[in-house]
Amino acid sequence: MKRKWWLTAAMAAVMAAAVVGCAGKAGNETAPASAGETKQTAESSGESGNTAAQGTLTVAIWDKNQEPGLTEIMKDFTNETGIKTQIQVTPWEQYWTMLEAGATGGSLPDVFWMHSNEIARYSEYEMLLDLTDRIKESKKLEMDKFPKDIVQIYNWEGTKQYAVPKDIDTIALWYNKTMFDEAGVPYPDKDWTWDDYAEAAKKLTKADGSQYGFALRPTNDQAGWNNIVYDMGGYVISDDKKSSGFDQPGTIKALTFITDLMKEGYAPPYEVMAENTEEALFEAGKVAMITAGSWMLPELCNNDYVKANCDIADLPKDAASGKRISIYNGLGWAASANTGMPEEAWKLIEYMGSKEAQQKQSDLGIVISAYEGTTDNWIKAYQGFNLQAYLDMMSDLVIRPYSKSTVAWNNMSHEKLIDAWTGAKSVEDVCKDIAQEMNAMLAQE
Amino acid sequence: MNRKSKVSRRERSEFLWGWMFLLPTMAGLIILNIIPIFQTIYQSFFKTGAFGKGNVFIGFDNYGQLFSDGAVWQALWNTCKYAVVEVPFSIAIALVLAVFLNGKIRGRSIWRTIYFLPMVAAPAAVAMVWRWLYNSEFGLLNHLLRGIGLSGVNWISNPNIAFISVAIVGIWSVIGYNMVLFFAGLQEIPRDYYEAAQIDGANGINQFFTITLPLISPTMFFVTVTRVIGAMQVFDSIYMMMGRSNPALVKTQSLVYLFYKYSFIEGNKGYGSSIVMLLLMVILLITMIQMICQKKWVNYS
Repeated sequence: MKRKWWLTAAMAAVMAAAVVGCAGKAGNETAPASAGETKQTAESSGESGNTAAQGTLTVAIWDKNQEPGLTEIMKDFTNETGIKTQIQVTPWEQYWTMLEAGATGGSLPDVFWMHSNEIARYSEYEMLLDLTDRIKESKKLEMDKFPKDIVQIYNWEGTKQYAVPKDIDTIALWYNKTMFDEAGVPYPDKDWTWDDYAEAAKKLTKADGSQYGFALRPTNDQAGWNNIVYDMGGYVISDDKKSSGFDQPGTIKALTFITDLMKEGYAPPYEVMAENTEEALFEAGKVAMITAGSWMLPELCNNDYVKANCDIADLPKDAASGKRISIYNGLGWAASANTGMPEEAWKLIEYMGSKEAQQKQSDLGIVISAYEGTTDNWIKAYQGFNLQAYLDMMSDLVIRPYSKSTVAWNNMSHEKLIDAWTGAKSVEDVCKDIAQEMNAMLAQE
Repeated sequence: MNRKSKVSRRERSEFLWGWMFLLPTMAGLIILNIIPIFQTIYQSFFKTGAFGKGNVFIGFDNYGQLFSDGAVWQALWNTCKYAVVEVPFSIAIALVLAVFLNGKIRGRSIWRTIYFLPMVAAPAAVAMVWRWLYNSEFGLLNHLLRGIGLSGVNWISNPNIAFISVAIVGIWSVIGYNMVLFFAGLQEIPRDYYEAAQIDGANGINQFFTITLPLISPTMFFVTVTRVIGAMQVFDSIYMMMGRSNPALVKTQSLVYLFYKYSFIEGNKGYGSSIVMLLLMVILLITMIQMICQKKWVNYS
């Protein structure tokens, strides 16, 4: 009898082993799986004068919309230096898993994009090529031409610069002209305040649920509620990155403003917003206004419905403070600390940060370049849309809130904000709860 | 010494070949399953740094956090709810289908193929299609409901319904696989029993309950054990179908989902590992109970 019991236990153990085995495996295999999805694009092999046997730099990015333009710029680079490059696109969802696996296994791409969410641990564990001295000696690169905030993101504790700014993004208001005309509401202009926005949202909402004023999800921080929070005098994280701003009166005021509009029914029911992105609802003609980042242009500007009915305006400002803030962020070009071709990788980063390449990046309409004074031609990228609004928003910028553990507290705040959005808890309670938990996380950094 | 010389050359060569054939499976099992188990156990005692570096030993702190973490217990409860819906239905439906499709039905192989198809499709793709079917605003299901004058249902964003919606996808995906296992079980039952029963005047339903069900119980046991383990590990359909802003996520996310979130999104592999250890213990317990209870109902003829 006793023996049988042990047999039972052993069998159960073997079966259960599959669980943990699978869990471990999932981790190890995500990388190759996502690498499999990575689309390799043709090498940009310009006719180079220098035909010496050189390897090809692998360049990892996550936005396939930018791939054709960047390939073109890198072709210029190859023509100039003879160094070949190859762009690999991995979608955002898998990009960081791919990079993490690469860093753990010592096989990072040579050059890749960095983001404020993730830079901290890559710097802390010295996974990136230290560019500090190279930047100092460079004749091509002028770091003071880039926004200080963006340079700062990729600077580790004031000593080491790990990436060179690539671009910046700003936020603007998208509105459906047809719906505004129908409701007899004048189009948003530069004098618009958030109160005008609320008033318009009310008039644009139809009682039968076929059309709503606006849509905004709790996960839409940078392009959404962050802007209103900063306009109304609140903040998400303090400048020294030591304390949360969720319990600030301005933050609570802004979030109450948004959730009140939802209680009035000027936005679709929360369930509908949870299942559909703001862009999808906007493109389906379900909502009249959304706020969207400049990175959404390829998506929105190429949509036929949007082309026929919609346009872009500056974000509204806060009547009391008079502030019209756009939260902004910027990517950086970084290289792997253990790349086999550090000099070549550096040359590429230096080139991508040069005025020439930054100018071309804007001219081709890829993104708003980070380099000062290179953005004028960017507004021609999509005809028929008032892209100038995105550039107008550059007059009052606040860097996207970040710290060393951005992802953790960001996700936590998104989850808790759901209760404020649905009205299950009061905004004040939710904000205090978030602040408390976020402060605990920041204390551990 | 005398005994050893009695091992013939043939026996020795069979011994060697036996192990040679086992080797590939053993190697896979050890590298992909056994070693990761121990790594996971090891990791669960650490506050893990990024990139496999900077691990700090913290003893049972992860487990302490685990026991006071409401989200973990909610996730365990969600996982159990999911299993309670998925396992019985996927087995019952598969068994009935298997019995019908084992008989002489026109187009039998076509039906078998159709029911097995979901098993061949990539789970992520399946989940994406269902996500669109379930969409409260633009989905086909609600479109049909509204067409007949009913109001739409928030299939995947109503906390009381979402886990059932996810389980329906799970059932739909796995029926074909369970069915194939039942086919194998049905082949084992000698035809004489049915003939004898027919002569005694038993109808189809009587035959099913008195012959098929008892004699297929070993297969049923195997399917139940593997299905429970599979259901407790549910992840991909939840991950693909539920967005992060979904209000039903808290009431639907499974333990493996939570493990993924902590380990791979937030980079806290130590805590993630301790969640998986909890899941391992739960599955171990359930499986042991099943092993003990099988004596009551499984019929090894």
